[in-house]
Amino acid sequence: MVGLTLVALPVFLLGWLIVYPILSAVLETVFPAGENGARALSLASYRFFFSDPYSLANLQVTLWTTLVCGVLLILVGLPIALYLRFSQGRFAAYVQAMAIFPMFVPSIILSYALIRTIGPNGTVDLILNALGLPKLPTPYLTPWGPVIGLVWDNLPLTVLMLTAGLGQISNASVEAARDVGAGPFRVFLAVILPRMANSLLVTASFAVLGIFSAFTLPYVLGPAAPEMMGPFMDRTFSDNNDPLNALTQAVISFGFCLVFGLFYVRSIARNQEGRP
Amino acid sequence: MNRRHFLIASSTVAGLALAPRLSFAAAGPIDVYCGSDKNVLDFWNNVILPAFAKAHPDIAVKVTDAGNNNGLRAIADRGLAALASNTDPQADMFETFDPLLPKGGIEAGLWVKAAEVKGHERINPLAIDSDYSLPYRGSQVLLAYDATKLPAKDAPKTWEQLVAWIKANPGQFVYNRPDKGGSGGNFVRRAIHEVNGRDPKAFTVGNYSEEAAAKMLPPAWELLKDLAPSLYEKGAYASGNTQSIQLLAQGVVTMAPVWSDQVLQAINQGVLPETTGLVQLTDLALCGGFAHSTLFSNGAHKDAALTLASFLLTQEIQEAVITELGGFPGVSWDHLSDALRQKYADVIPATIPTFPSGDWEKAVNDGWYRNVAPTISRT
Repeated sequence: MVGLTLVALPVFLLGWLIVYPILSAVLETVFPAGENGARALSLASYRFFFSDPYSLANLQVTLWTTLVCGVLLILVGLPIALYLRFSQGRFAAYVQAMAIFPMFVPSIILSYALIRTIGPNGTVDLILNALGLPKLPTPYLTPWGPVIGLVWDNLPLTVLMLTAGLGQISNASVEAARDVGAGPFRVFLAVILPRMANSLLVTASFAVLGIFSAFTLPYVLGPAAPEMMGPFMDRTFSDNNDPLNALTQAVISFGFCLVFGLFYVRSIARNQEGRP
Repeated sequence: MNRRHFLIASSTVAGLALAPRLSFAAAGPIDVYCGSDKNVLDFWNNVILPAFAKAHPDIAVKVTDAGNNNGLRAIADRGLAALASNTDPQADMFETFDPLLPKGGIEAGLWVKAAEVKGHERINPLAIDSDYSLPYRGSQVLLAYDATKLPAKDAPKTWEQLVAWIKANPGQFVYNRPDKGGSGGNFVRRAIHEVNGRDPKAFTVGNYSEEAAAKMLPPAWELLKDLAPSLYEKGAYASGNTQSIQLLAQGVVTMAPVWSDQVLQAINQGVLPETTGLVQLTDLALCGGFAHSTLFSNGAHKDAALTLASFLLTQEIQEAVITELGGFPGVSWDHLSDALRQKYADVIPATIPTFPSGDWEKAVNDGWYRNVAPTISRT
């Protein structure tokens, strides 16, 4: 009974702030209010979204950005996590601090900082120019702008979760493999990677959920079109004064995120079953 | 004193300190909503509000950032609904808004007549566009360019010359997305004027229809699409007024459309160098306009808001509009000091073309995103 009372408040908040808005968004888009306020079943707004090349291009660039960021995050995060798992000492602590640092930088500040550094005629260009090298093609206002920003912004969470996953691998098993003559690469492939599958999946779903709904970085660093779903929804809602289509876009985004959410929930459930 | 006592005592003291504020809040400050750029918001917070507090210490003002014009539209809709149900709209004044919106607002008596504001007779007749709005500052979009790369005598003075210059200098011109700031927005509107006989009167708040838009806007999209390959990065669009100025300041582009007030401020602050040139098209100027304050007739603090509105028209604030904001005054120039009048004789505009907000604005913004923005190939 006490337990139930304790969870009542969070469950109530979850229902009120998350479940209710989702259900109401789905209902309002499937049963939109007509001219006279009466509601009738109509999938017109979904048909519009999936037959409108502009909307589809936006969805596509969002999926592309999410995929590219997800892959880059694992590629960058995994070596850092491995290093942190197997090293001790002062230098490892510095690396960890560096990897966690982006967590404390608000994304709007990051956006303007990136414009000043890797933007056109930014710090990097100035240094290259001083060395007599040609300027870099700038990612600012191209789809690569948000990719760079989002990878930087999501790195701390990725590293933390991967490090936590690596923590589950016992030193004994790694040492046993080394004793029978396995090199570092073999240890990684045969011992570490198989036991990391779960935490890789969790990390990827977290990263995907965060990136899919990103707003500030694509808004400031990305191109005018195609837009990512976050800025697109905002523009549809406030500029075009079109809540129905904005809600439809939100439900569709939610549907994609749900798939990754299910991965996460499934792996958590499997973890708990596995425990004695 | 143990910790528990300390907490009780200190929270009581804090509560007492808050008490007079609470009773004051019951009388309530004037609710002003502002949908303009940050520099205007700064002008209110740093210039108007301190001066008003000195002149009228008994009246408090709360300025809230509504983000953009659409934010204000939503509040105006609520105000109209509140008028119908006789409740408090929780808004007294808009920093700048078009009183023709929301539809039926004027007929229902939503807005206060400008004639009720003390000092309204000093307003510049050029600036008046409705009986229900109070023009208190103006600005216009100009072309700003780097005079070290483009000598002033070669700066384009007509639309045709501008297009020719952009095409002859690929990558050297940028304008921002039309919904993210008026400088790029009014550049897009100038293109729309260009293909519709250069007649700003062809567009009014009332004459929007889907058929009219389908006929009048697509030629402008063609015109702008034709420019895209010659723009910065073969068709990249900055995400706001400030970002355009930033690209100009970093020497990335040579020319960009800018708001007159923002560019003067940027030059004064050293963000843009002294060698920044300014030019206006002479065949038809880029749009601009006066910021028209509107007052809710059903606001809870209507009388106080009227006092604030007439304070905006005093010589003190009107001169600050020029010196602090870099804008044009809303009152006639005879009501300002001689020194200022002579100093700014050149920038006093004779006419300023305008473009209606409301449905046209929506059609222009979304049409631009769908037709102009995506058709670029970056390879």
